[in-house]
Amino acid sequence: MGIQPKIIGLFLLASTLVYSQEKPWSHWSIQSSYFQPSLLRASATIAPTRFYTQQTTVAFIHGFVEYVLEPNISVRGEANIMAPNGQLVFTNEPEKFPRNYSALYAGFGYHFGKNNWKLDFHAEPGIAFAEMAQDPYSVVPIRFKWSACPSYQLKAGTSIYFSRFCHFFAEFNYGNGWIRKTPLSSLSIAQYGISAGLGFHLLTKKLN
Amino acid sequence: MQRIALVLLLFVVFPFQAQENRRDNPAGMLSLGGRTTVSLFNEQKNEMSGSGVGGQFRLRFSDAVNTDWFFDYITSDILNYAHRTDYHIGWSVLFYPINNHNYFHQTTQFKPKFRPYILAGHCFDYSKIEAKDGTNALDGVWYSERWSSAVQAGLGTHLELSPRFDLSLTGQYMIHLGNHIETDYDFTSGTLSFNEHKGASLAGHVLVTLSLNYKIAKLWGFSRR
Repeated sequence: MGIQPKIIGLFLLASTLVYSQEKPWSHWSIQSSYFQPSLLRASATIAPTRFYTQQTTVAFIHGFVEYVLEPNISVRGEANIMAPNGQLVFTNEPEKFPRNYSALYAGFGYHFGKNNWKLDFHAEPGIAFAEMAQDPYSVVPIRFKWSACPSYQLKAGTSIYFSRFCHFFAEFNYGNGWIRKTPLSSLSIAQYGISAGLGFHLLTKKLN
Repeated sequence: MQRIALVLLLFVVFPFQAQENRRDNPAGMLSLGGRTTVSLFNEQKNEMSGSGVGGQFRLRFSDAVNTDWFFDYITSDILNYAHRTDYHIGWSVLFYPINNHNYFHQTTQFKPKFRPYILAGHCFDYSKIEAKDGTNALDGVWYSERWSSAVQAGLGTHLELSPRFDLSLTGQYMIHLGNHIETDYDFTSGTLSFNEHKGASLAGHVLVTLSLNYKIAKLWGFSRR
């Protein structure tokens, strides 16, 4: 091999090194944030949740839809549904825990942080729908009872928007409420849990 | 002639002034929100604190006067032998004694701020008290219910986090004016009975409400800017 191909080879190698000095994530700071007013985002995931006063941990099927109203403010609705056979750790007496449980929440979120990495807080009033188990102490069996229970949920989380359509999110959830329509004492649904995963988003309006 | 000219001049000037005021006035602002409520010091003997959920819309009439139109669903326990459910639907007038902020004059960057208010209003309510297991050995389904009216008054504050979004915390006392239901529980025999009293009673409860509200429209007083 002559000297010329070697020089060309070295030149090409050097040029790639110079190119690699540009950090792979540098374009993130150049472009505007994916998180903008009119962003619609949604996801569904499994959320392990601990009912800490009932010493019971369950798996929720968790889904949410969120719309960004202002640079810092969003409106959000979400649902938690106890997965079939979703009681992961169950140390309470079975008759004192709902055999079916779902909850719907709607509220607002506050977001702050850098362009595509956001920290967010949410406050969401809602309703939990619970079906209690049969009264084990009754001579005449009492039918299973559904009830709608006032509840609320507070969330703190973070999201990283890494493309036009996808982001990662991780959230810590705290909820509370009471199931009062029970044959026994009322049941606290105080709970904490985590939800994380891949979310999808879309800018619904073109901004100037 | 000069007087007539002066009067005409005033007639010309006032409409411009009125247009300016109208443009700056937040009257007609409609907000939508959700709320969560804690019910304390309830009228019922042995009744414990309750929790509730609801929604509201807020319609503003002037700089100093706003109105809340709300619905609440509240549940509470009466020890461990009965539970009570309340549905409230009503309205409150909010008066802002300190009124130094204009929604349309954001000359500098918005900063979160508190805006306190005095509130008073009226609501209709439906209450149902039900035995814990929902039945009585002899009589089957065991509950008592009432429709009544109530008045409420209290204090609160908005925490305005953006020109359009606010958190509001309200503490108020609600007095029920209709019939009154009393529960009587015999702890020895485990028997629950209900007694209904006709006529007005000043019994009530303290309601602490946290609401989240977003301004969605201006129904009148539009400006083309």
